Amino acid sequence: MLSGLGFKEVYNLKGGMMAWDGLQASGPQELNMDLVRGDESPAEMVRLAYSLENGLQIFYRNIQKKTKIETIESLFIKLAQIEENHKKRLSELYGMIEPSGGDLESLGSDADGGMMEGGFNIEAFTRQNESFLDTPQLVIDLAMMLETQALDLYLRFSQKTENKDTEAVLFKLADEEKAHLALLGRWLDEKTEG
Amino acid sequence: MIQLKRLFKPVKNMDSEEAKAFIEEQKEGTFTILDVRQPGEYEEGHIPGSKLVPLPQLREALDELDPEHPTMVY
Repeated sequence: MLSGLGFKEVYNLKGGMMAWDGLQASGPQELNMDLVRGDESPAEMVRLAYSLENGLQIFYRNIQKKTKIETIESLFIKLAQIEENHKKRLSELYGMIEPSGGDLESLGSDADGGMMEGGFNIEAFTRQNESFLDTPQLVIDLAMMLETQALDLYLRFSQKTENKDTEAVLFKLADEEKAHLALLGRWLDEKTEG
Repeated sequence: MIQLKRLFKPVKNMDSEEAKAFIEEQKEGTFTILDVRQPGEYEEGHIPGSKLVPLPQLREALDELDPEHPTMVY
């Protein structure tokens, strides 16, 4: 139908979602959309993303401290470090957008006890997941699920935003999540092959 | 008759691998992934970044879509 309505390039996913074997996000379209109004400035969006990344790092560190399994502990240290790198890049971006905007790190600390990447509550998510994260594969699967939800959330935010510069920030965040997912995919391959 | 022909203009099919390559090759903001299923199906699982427009509402939602963007539909 779309091609008959002036759409220049239309492709049909053969077999639909049943045939799709790539990443999948879940939840309704409105999930966590109340985190944004739609008129956020690029700096506001970077601050929100920073607090979500910080929240995920808190979750990884919570589990890292609780686990008694050495390999799981070191995996969570690596995952937390990736979030640290994300935060560093967001701080640099914030510095470029808002040179007099203050210290992102102190703004991000508001995430304690709050939300983490993908829009989950840190404490509730820790309680729900801490007891069964006992193999590297389960940990990486969970990390991939979180990053996929985050990718989807940033892209849904981009559909809501009215500001082109904020949209560009969200696309940059989505690209970061994709790169992170590719890295996790390689880790998973190594774990399942080894 | 001509209009009817245009409505049924064939579109290219992509399998899952081709669709993943398509998404990977595109820059964010330059393409659309359109989910035309019902909200419950979307909720169960969807391709990240998909825009949900159930098929019966597609005509009314056309102004939310960019016809210049390559669009993958499922």
